[in-house]
Amino acid sequence: MRPILLSGHERSLNQIKFNRDGDLLFSVAKDKIVCAWWSANGERLGTYNGHQGAIWTVDVSPNTVLLATGSADNTVRLWNIKTGECVKVWEFPTAVKRVAFSPDGSKLLAVTEKRMGFLGTIAVLDIAYGDGQGGNLNEQADEPSLRITCTESKATVAGWSFLAKYIIAGHEDGSVSQYDPKTGEQLETMQAHEFDHQINDLQFSPDRTYFITASKDKSAKLMSARNLAILKTYTADTPLNTATVTPKKDFAILGGGQAAMDVTTTSARQGKFEARFYHRIFEDEIGRVRGHFGPLNTIDVHPAGTAYASGGEDGYVRVHHFDKPYFDFMYEVEREQLRK
Amino acid sequence: MSQLGNRAAWADDEEFDDPSALPAQEVIANKDGTKTVISYRFNEDGKKVKLTRRIKTTVVREHVNPQVAERRSWAKFGLEKGHVAGPSFDTTSVGENIVFRPSVNWKAQAKEAEKEGGEKGSMKDQLKDKKVKCRICSGEHFTARCPFKDTMAPVEEPTEGGGGDMDDEKAAGGLGAGSSSYVPPHMRKGGAGGGEKMGGRFEKDDLATLRVTNVSELAEEQEVRDLFERFGRVTRVFLARDRETQRAKGFAFISYADRGDAAHACEKMDGFGYRHLILRVEFAKRTTT
Repeated sequence: MRPILLSGHERSLNQIKFNRDGDLLFSVAKDKIVCAWWSANGERLGTYNGHQGAIWTVDVSPNTVLLATGSADNTVRLWNIKTGECVKVWEFPTAVKRVAFSPDGSKLLAVTEKRMGFLGTIAVLDIAYGDGQGGNLNEQADEPSLRITCTESKATVAGWSFLAKYIIAGHEDGSVSQYDPKTGEQLETMQAHEFDHQINDLQFSPDRTYFITASKDKSAKLMSARNLAILKTYTADTPLNTATVTPKKDFAILGGGQAAMDVTTTSARQGKFEARFYHRIFEDEIGRVRGHFGPLNTIDVHPAGTAYASGGEDGYVRVHHFDKPYFDFMYEVEREQLRK
Repeated sequence: MSQLGNRAAWADDEEFDDPSALPAQEVIANKDGTKTVISYRFNEDGKKVKLTRRIKTTVVREHVNPQVAERRSWAKFGLEKGHVAGPSFDTTSVGENIVFRPSVNWKAQAKEAEKEGGEKGSMKDQLKDKKVKCRICSGEHFTARCPFKDTMAPVEEPTEGGGGDMDDEKAAGGLGAGSSSYVPPHMRKGGAGGGEKMGGRFEKDDLATLRVTNVSELAEEQEVRDLFERFGRVTRVFLARDRETQRAKGFAFISYADRGDAAHACEKMDGFGYRHLILRVEFAKRTTT
């Protein structure tokens, strides 16, 4: 496969996201712009300009009408995807580290940083879609409908489970917790990763019944959204920044590498700047894809499972469209199962 | 170019039998679905050149969501505002090809590949246990430092390059990077059957690999696999196919995990009727002997 290299950013990537149809890819980096790309050929559709600081996070609404971004300038911005206009700005006391739309797109959660005496919070915002033709998108509620305060350890990542029944958050101390999105009450918590090893990424399966976490403790875990049971563990030899599960094939893709501050002291070979593919069920590592010159900060998979994109500390996004050997690969037992 | 030939306007009628006129372009549809286009043109020297091209047309039809189709018509905005359609070179490029084959034991394979790469190694590794040898007195020093440098002429060597022991090493190591003449693989001392690296991987398989000939053109790999799997665990099925038509070429290789199974299959399947043809099954011979 020949990757498509997207070099629209001048600094390291923070998050990339496909829309639900997989034709668009959004990327945010430490520079202040958001880029939208066509995933098929790597053409840039446009940029969304307006943020004043590094952009930490991006998410796209399920109907590909609105785009939400969270930034170090303490704001969450909502953009009209088609025109590139900013339709709403929400101010927060601290930087926003993660935003995520609920599965039906009616709500948006924002994870705020713990800093300057403010505790880390998860805010839930109600989202309206105007008249349905792309008009009146700027009529949005000004105040969050719910605020969850994380008193023990700040949340670093969060997302919505199936049917928006729970909010699942990963914390700085390596624990994962489950909240009720109506009352904000904490339902369950689980020390999934080693204590004090931050959870860097949390991505859901297509049906949102389970999710994968990536942590600094060099492992990724597959967990059930319902009761936070650890289903599978994938161990790597390097701190992980991101992990995702692939539709169509039962794989998981993990990305990470030497922390940015240690990079200059190691060569590319030792840096382990590769995307690692694991078999989701057997937990075996089945291959690696190299290419980045720095740690992988973010990985997202095309919703149809035909491609994946990775964003690295080197400022590049690489879009890989899988070719035949990827789809053909099967374990002997899987092949036997198929024959029956 | 061809327009000149096949669409002559009435105004050009007079020049029709002009020697500079070119024969019309011919398009022939081939049996295998490809097209042959024969066109004519003049080259720089004014000579007529016949150009025959074979063209294979692949239509990839894709069904997309109407919303996705609608999005394709969106205008660019932001930094891209006003730019023409199509990827721009300053933001989008295509990387070098990556071979990605998922496999259960990829770690072992990667290690092997690394070792093969390392074998050639650096010059330093190659010359690690080489000794300096004087061309005059065969002592362990450079010729230029020889105490007999001014009094004796260098001893004539049968081969150019280093001394005798150096030659031995090169022959064993295969591709030496030195200046000695090239030794073909089968003449080298170490590699008995030549092509050491190539053979090494399948050596074990060869013992239990069957060659099947007279296979139907319409055979499918899965069918062949099913056919032979009755006799034991099949580790590899290779059905030769035509690169363009994707039809079977008439032979296949079947590797078994166990040689006993292979022998059994060979006995049973030789003369078996498959798709109106009678299969011929025999043990595969080593290609490099």
